[in-house]
Amino acid sequence: MILKTNNLCKQYQHKDGLVDALNHVSFEVNEGDFVTITGASGSGKTTLLLSLAGLIHATSGEIRIKDFDVVNASDRKLSDFRRKHIGFVMQSFALIPYLTAIENVMLPLAISKFKKEQKYQKALALLKLVDLENRKNHLPSELSAGQQQRVAIARALVNSPTLILADEPTGNLDPSLSTDILNLLKKINKEEKITILMVTHSPLAAEFGNRKINLHNGCIN
Amino acid sequence: MNIRKLVWLEFKQHKSQLISGLLAITLGIAVIVGIRSISVVSEKAVAVNLDNLGANILVLPQASNVDNYYAADIDAPTMPEEYVDRIVSSNLEGVDNLSPKLTRRVKVGTENVVLTGILPKNEITSKPMWQQSGLLGNDLKASCAPSNAVNQSNGYEDEKLQRKVIDSLGADECLLGSTISRKLKLVDGSSVIILGETFKVSRVLNETGTVDDDRIFIHLHKAQELLKIPNQVSAIEIMGCCNAISDGLLSKLRNVLPDTRITTIGQIVATQIQTNKMMNKVSLIFLIIIIFVGGISIGNFMWANINERRKEIGMLRMIGFNKATIYQMILAKAFVLGIIGGIIGYILGTAAGVWLGPELAGLPVQPIPSLILISLCISIGVSLLGSILPAYLAGRIDPFKNMQEV
Ligand SMILES: Nc1ncnc2c1ncn2[C@@H]1O[C@H](COP(=O)(O)OP(=O)(O)OP(=O)(O)O)[C@@H](O)[C@H]1O
Ligand SMILES: [Mg+2]
Repeated sequence: MILKTNNLCKQYQHKDGLVDALNHVSFEVNEGDFVTITGASGSGKTTLLLSLAGLIHATSGEIRIKDFDVVNASDRKLSDFRRKHIGFVMQSFALIPYLTAIENVMLPLAISKFKKEQKYQKALALLKLVDLENRKNHLPSELSAGQQQRVAIARALVNSPTLILADEPTGNLDPSLSTDILNLLKKINKEEKITILMVTHSPLAAEFGNRKINLHNGCIN
Repeated sequence: MNIRKLVWLEFKQHKSQLISGLLAITLGIAVIVGIRSISVVSEKAVAVNLDNLGANILVLPQASNVDNYYAADIDAPTMPEEYVDRIVSSNLEGVDNLSPKLTRRVKVGTENVVLTGILPKNEITSKPMWQQSGLLGNDLKASCAPSNAVNQSNGYEDEKLQRKVIDSLGADECLLGSTISRKLKLVDGSSVIILGETFKVSRVLNETGTVDDDRIFIHLHKAQELLKIPNQVSAIEIMGCCNAISDGLLSKLRNVLPDTRITTIGQIVATQIQTNKMMNKVSLIFLIIIIFVGGISIGNFMWANINERRKEIGMLRMIGFNKATIYQMILAKAFVLGIIGGIIGYILGTAAGVWLGPELAGLPVQPIPSLILISLCISIGVSLLGSILPAYLAGRIDPFKNMQEV
């Protein structure tokens, strides 16, 4: 077991009142799982992912990832934890516009102790994995959407994370590109043995995982 | 890829915004450097005057003041040359050497120069009275011995003082200050036409860093003739012995020459010191202003930059950059800004000083390399100071909030 939540609750404070985004969510994920999280818009999927990564503070409940207590960790510990154990893939790619593909991939290594050359080789290997070696010096604006998302996936992998958290990674892509990305994630899950939690709207995408979690109004169905 | 590289790439990306961020601090530094480089030469000039002329005495016409004397205006008042004889014959103790001068501003070629008529030493010492007075020579040193080595020999061997003891000067010869010789492209032995008459450059004087660098010296009587001011002088400089001055030499001189103004160079220098003090005060005020204005403007620039990069900073936090790293990035950028502001400020200020120095202080201004260190320290310090709050706020950017919108 790599991830476990227990009675996870998240309430957003809003000036119009409290919003219950997560309601006593408890589940476990085993090492090597490819979990897809589905649910209607506003059901709390993004909130769940962000809570898992400690990017927002859960109101109550427990999150343990590889025995790391996410809920009670300090900001500094959480940052280190994210850097070492979690790779993110977002719907909006979240690449830095003035960095080339390979520089974007190397970014999480910026605060690591690896040598310059090692960083470069790692990033290059991952660009090979996502089949973008020949675009390594392109800026994000010089890449197609699917290519940008592949760069983002390479970046998520560069620290050899324990867990990849993907929030609608194919949300901005057309169906055939989506399939490419989903296949890539599947391959990473299989070959690199990296556990993946992927939020998706698309029933088709949900089929790529080996487990499904469905959220409804902040509760697991 | 490391933090430094990341900062640098971002910096290059937004370099067009630099001007607005750096304007205030660069200008502030430029003003400080400009003032400082002028006031340093001016201070040096004061020091040169004090060192070399020390307790010297200036005898000026009653109606004159020190400014007229230096400005050498067309209608600056004069007094009879005969006063020289009066001083010599009064046999005052402590009058070591004296030198009457007539100064006027004239045009030589296209340059404005101060033409100074002087009486070479051989013509003064040949005056019988002077020889009788027996004041020249070794017996003076004991009473006149100031502490520093330069004056140990009464200064006569000092290069800068040599103009005071021009041994001889022919009617058709002239001496040139170093700056003016460069401007007029004249060297030893060349000839130059002054007020319609040809003179041979008998020597180019060594640079003194004083107004003398801009002067042309000719024989006093020749100057009187050319300027049509016969038997008149603008000033008499007296090399007096310091002890004698404190023993009341000034008032004795005033008795001998009741219708003149008699001051010491020390008093003249005092006005220059005053000016320098004021310039230093202005620098200080500017320093305070740039710390505030420059700091605030850099802070404002940084904050705008950070706001523009909220998404990016949020993303960095998401992938595991901690707050300290974000601070580090912002402050590293501030550091680079500080370096650039300091260097540009130094260059602008030095250029302004070199350009305006001769106009404002009447002195040639040289760049002062050590000021670059001070500029950098101030600029970097202000830049870092101004960026502390923006850096702190950047650390508080939510790691995710800005990630959701496309
Ligand atoms: N910052 C916030 N402040 C207040 N309420 C919020 C905030 N963020 C999200 N919510 C609310 O929390 C609930 C869950 O939001 P969340 O973003 O997790 O939904 P989602 O399942 O990711 O939806 P979608 O599929 O549309 O992305 C929503 O009802 C939303 O309105
Ligand atoms: Mg969402």
